[in-house]
Amino acid sequence: MTNAPAPLAVEAAAHSIGAQKVYGSGDTEVHALRDVTVQFPKGKFTSIMGPSGSGKSTLMQCMAGLDRLTGGEAYVGDAALSSLSDKQLTQLRRDKIGFIFQAYNLIPTLNAEENITLPMSLAGSKPDQEWLQQVVTATGLADRMGHRPNELSGGQQQRVAVARALASRPDIIFGDEPTGNLDSKTGAEILDFMRTAVDSLGQTIVMVTHDPVSASYSDKVLFLADGQIVDEMANPTTDAVYDKIRSLGD
Amino acid sequence: MTVIKLALRGIRASIGRLILTTIAILAGVGFVSGAFILADSLESTFGSIFEEASASVDARVGVAELEFGEDVRTIPDTLVDELLALPEVGEARPDITIEESFTPFVALDENGEEVVPQGPPIITFSWDGGDGGGLTLIEGSPSMGLEQTVIDSGYATALGASAGDVFTFNTPDGQRDFEIAGIVEFEVTGGAYFVLFDFESAQTLYDKEGVVDGISLSRASGVTTEDMIAAVAEAIPEDAEVIDQAALIEEQTAQFEQVISILRNVLLVFAAIAVFVSLFIIYNTFAILVAQRLQQIGMLRAIGATRRQVRIWVLVEAVLVGVIGSILGIFAGGGVAFLIKQAFQASGGFPETDTVLLARTIYVAVAVGVIATIVSALIPAIRASRVSPMSAIRPERKSVSIASGRVIVGAVMLAAGAVLMGLGLAGKTGATTIAGVDLSTGVVIGLEFGLGAVLMFIGVFLFSVLFAGPVVDVIGKPQVLGGAMLALGLAMITIIFTVGDGFPDSLFQTDIEEGVEVSNFSIGALFGWFGFVLKMGVALLSAIVGASILTSKLRGGSRSGIGGGAGSVEGHLARRNAARSPVRTAATATVLTIGIALVSTVSVVGESLKASFASTLDRSIQADLFIYDEAGGEFSSDLANQMESVDGLSSISRFRFNEIRLGEDDVQDIAAFNAETGTELIDFGITDGSVDGVAAGNGVLVFQDEATERGLSVGDTVSVEFPDLESEDLVVSGIFEDNSVLNSPWVIDLAVYERHIEFTDDAFVGASIADGADPAAVKADVLAITDTFASVTTQDNQEFIDSQEGQVDSLISLINYLLGFALFVAFIGVINTIVLSVVERTQEIGLLRAVGTTQQQIRGMVRWEAVIICLFGALLGIALGVLFGWAAVSAIPDDVISDIAIPYESVIFTILVAALAGVAAAVIPAYIAAKRNVLEAIATAS
Repeated sequence: MTNAPAPLAVEAAAHSIGAQKVYGSGDTEVHALRDVTVQFPKGKFTSIMGPSGSGKSTLMQCMAGLDRLTGGEAYVGDAALSSLSDKQLTQLRRDKIGFIFQAYNLIPTLNAEENITLPMSLAGSKPDQEWLQQVVTATGLADRMGHRPNELSGGQQQRVAVARALASRPDIIFGDEPTGNLDSKTGAEILDFMRTAVDSLGQTIVMVTHDPVSASYSDKVLFLADGQIVDEMANPTTDAVYDKIRSLGD
Repeated sequence: MTVIKLALRGIRASIGRLILTTIAILAGVGFVSGAFILADSLESTFGSIFEEASASVDARVGVAELEFGEDVRTIPDTLVDELLALPEVGEARPDITIEESFTPFVALDENGEEVVPQGPPIITFSWDGGDGGGLTLIEGSPSMGLEQTVIDSGYATALGASAGDVFTFNTPDGQRDFEIAGIVEFEVTGGAYFVLFDFESAQTLYDKEGVVDGISLSRASGVTTEDMIAAVAEAIPEDAEVIDQAALIEEQTAQFEQVISILRNVLLVFAAIAVFVSLFIIYNTFAILVAQRLQQIGMLRAIGATRRQVRIWVLVEAVLVGVIGSILGIFAGGGVAFLIKQAFQASGGFPETDTVLLARTIYVAVAVGVIATIVSALIPAIRASRVSPMSAIRPERKSVSIASGRVIVGAVMLAAGAVLMGLGLAGKTGATTIAGVDLSTGVVIGLEFGLGAVLMFIGVFLFSVLFAGPVVDVIGKPQVLGGAMLALGLAMITIIFTVGDGFPDSLFQTDIEEGVEVSNFSIGALFGWFGFVLKMGVALLSAIVGASILTSKLRGGSRSGIGGGAGSVEGHLARRNAARSPVRTAATATVLTIGIALVSTVSVVGESLKASFASTLDRSIQADLFIYDEAGGEFSSDLANQMESVDGLSSISRFRFNEIRLGEDDVQDIAAFNAETGTELIDFGITDGSVDGVAAGNGVLVFQDEATERGLSVGDTVSVEFPDLESEDLVVSGIFEDNSVLNSPWVIDLAVYERHIEFTDDAFVGASIADGADPAAVKADVLAITDTFASVTTQDNQEFIDSQEGQVDSLISLINYLLGFALFVAFIGVINTIVLSVVERTQEIGLLRAVGTTQQQIRGMVRWEAVIICLFGALLGIALGVLFGWAAVSAIPDDVISDIAIPYESVIFTILVAALAGVAAAVIPAYIAAKRNVLEAIATAS
């Protein structure tokens, strides 16, 4: 491995070089990530898959600036995350990154629209109205913007959560099992919506999932095992992903 | 700002969880603003009344301030005419006023009993018959001559008197008849009664012939007040001074302001305690709210909220709660002030007052409420800001392990508090100046104690997490809990009937009035019964609950009776719950600990004071009968003169008090008594020399501390200046060690005293009953004499000791009533924390319900956890209280309190009440926990 940035085939929204994450020390040392170098190209939908404990969530969290690496470097755009202070990291998350969580994670006391615009409100900036309109229309919930989360179904809540991630037009959106809490039909709605966000709105999405059906919505799947990238698959289909996982299990 | 919107919405959403916190703030702030509103209202009312009373007076001539010795300065009544002769003076009205200590004129009812106001005195002065000055004639006419008097409408009602009636009065010179010439109404009486005479009669009746106490002046037309005062100042003798209207009003209001400011400051001290308790409640609430919102906070951090924004979010929520609580608290304060005023008014003669709400009150109240919430929410807010954004994905469950930093800080604060108290105890620090304010030694020691206590409370709050777990685990064992409650309940009942008072007096007391038996309803006995029923109720209930817990344990967890559950599976769960989160348990318990520690301190100090009292009085008072003025004043020497003729009294001594001067600014108290008989009545504990020299003539007894300080020993000569400014050489004939009865370091014979002091009233009289005489008959004979003197009371040895102890008891109960408020706030705090804990454990409770736990069992679980936590708090509180009490008793000089005594009855009572309070506090949370829908409860993630 080289310490210099690898030449990029496509411009990457985020990438890592030799990423390492070690929990604990001595006998209890756990290597969650071992030397992971990866690129998430702009305008693409990437899935990260792998068995439990493979490090897929850790990779996402470290790429997203939620957690810090113990070695190597993660970049969002040109920003090297390890060099940022907590405050700068917070600003980066606010301005450049969007999140979609498994448990919708909406603020119960704010209505749908307020939840969507929350990142901008926190930044003290005005949302781009035209873009916001586009996002809201894409959710199909334009008439439900005044409702509180508890007045929306699970699928609707998650669409609001996706819209929140899109609203500030971030450079990259990270999703942590975004359909994990939903039934397959509602899950499909969300994935369609995310696909639309990439195709029509030109967004970049990175999603952690263990579900081959979900993965099939993406442009590329990265497979992790034991903290290392062991394979990748372009234009995946559900069956191909299934087969791959089975072969990794062997 | 977004965070403010979030905070607002957050409050609206969690309003239920914040209601009790708001009540806690409301209570503290209410106490603070109530104190201010009451004091301001009283001040403004008295101010306006005095202004009105002095409206027609431009200036007043009065006796100049006395420097040393009394009755030396007088104004001759001839001055009135001299002043009237001045061209600048329009009117000059002389008056006679009576010092408070002077025995008043008291009317007798048809049974010959004195009719006196409840508490306040009877006030007498001369009245020239003119309206204004705060009084109006409403019936009859002004009094004329020595046979007539005017009384106020309150007294007239009490006596059933109308103008023209004749009543017998006890007067300083025995009984006299007066015709009620007229009845006046006062704007302010403060519950006092008034007996007024015309000026000349007042001079005679008060033994003030030829003198005036004051002259009210009005200026002649066309003259300025300044000119008149200048002219008057030239004309008056040295003993007199003239002041203008403004100074007069100020002088009059100043006295009331002093009383009002004492009232206000006392209320503020207790308000501060209530606020201090509420700090912990607010802290608990926000600590729990933050813990409940970990995931939400993590999400906000993940999508870009800065730490500062999270901190502000929590603080804004706290401030909003603080503002709401404070505003409600101001209203509550108005209510408190209103109730206290109503109570005053019901006691009679209190002026109608407006409720004065100054801007200052609002500022202070809101500042107190807001600062209290910010201070208490600061740590939870900082903790919230440190929540990792990762919590959005995987909420970090708060680790059960106890932060060692917390324990260390707690231990340090405990130690620092103890050191501060130790300093106060050692009395090493003397008077000092802090921030330009001079503080006396007493205040410094008080501050050291107060600050020490505050530090120790916070220290205990932090440190007790270390042992909270194991201790509650033991307390919660059904054998321990049930056994202790049963044993303490029974112990309490035993104490009540053995060392305690047993059954109180009958509600109806039979008196013999004019040979007829009359049953009178006794208010005192009613209070006695109230206390008895309360104590017995608590004791019995605890014993029953304790027994019920024990039997339910034996029967393997059946749930009948009040104690049901504590011995079974839910009791076990409750114990585990209390033990597994020692931080929560300690925080909840501390709130109670503070209140109970203070109550225990007061009862330990009070009990010790009583014990010391009893032992010293028992030893030093040999007299069989004690005669003194209930109002603390003096009475005519005629009383003792008449007692000389009573058969069966072996010795009588009069006691009088005054001041002497041993040098420039060296003024000392002196007591005088009949030296030949006095030491038989009161044992001073003469350690050196004897009383003989005093009885022989110019001898003096000196208190040992004073003698040591001045290097005096028996045989030395001291030159003493008396109030008549004559000096005399006295020979030290004895040194004494017990100053508890006379409280006067110098004691001389009455003969020496009378050489220099004309004032012949006695302060108290002691007498012994001769051997072989019938004590009851002798006492009856003495009573026949003393009953004709106004407000004089006669007590035998035990009655005297009882009445002194009664005063201590009244003070303790007054303090306890005020501390009861802090306990109430603490009780709210316990409910608050348990409600929040229940909400936090929704999922867990749902799980218990799902596997077959009944609603009843859930309620039992919550109830027993509350009881265990309350008991833990009470035990800590009592331990601290006894410690503080011991420290205070050690710091108080031995001649006030020498022995420490633990009030076992009230200690046991406190523990049992705390346990029962736990049951009561759990009612609402238990209901909330039990009514939860099982499925929803399980579904509630995190």
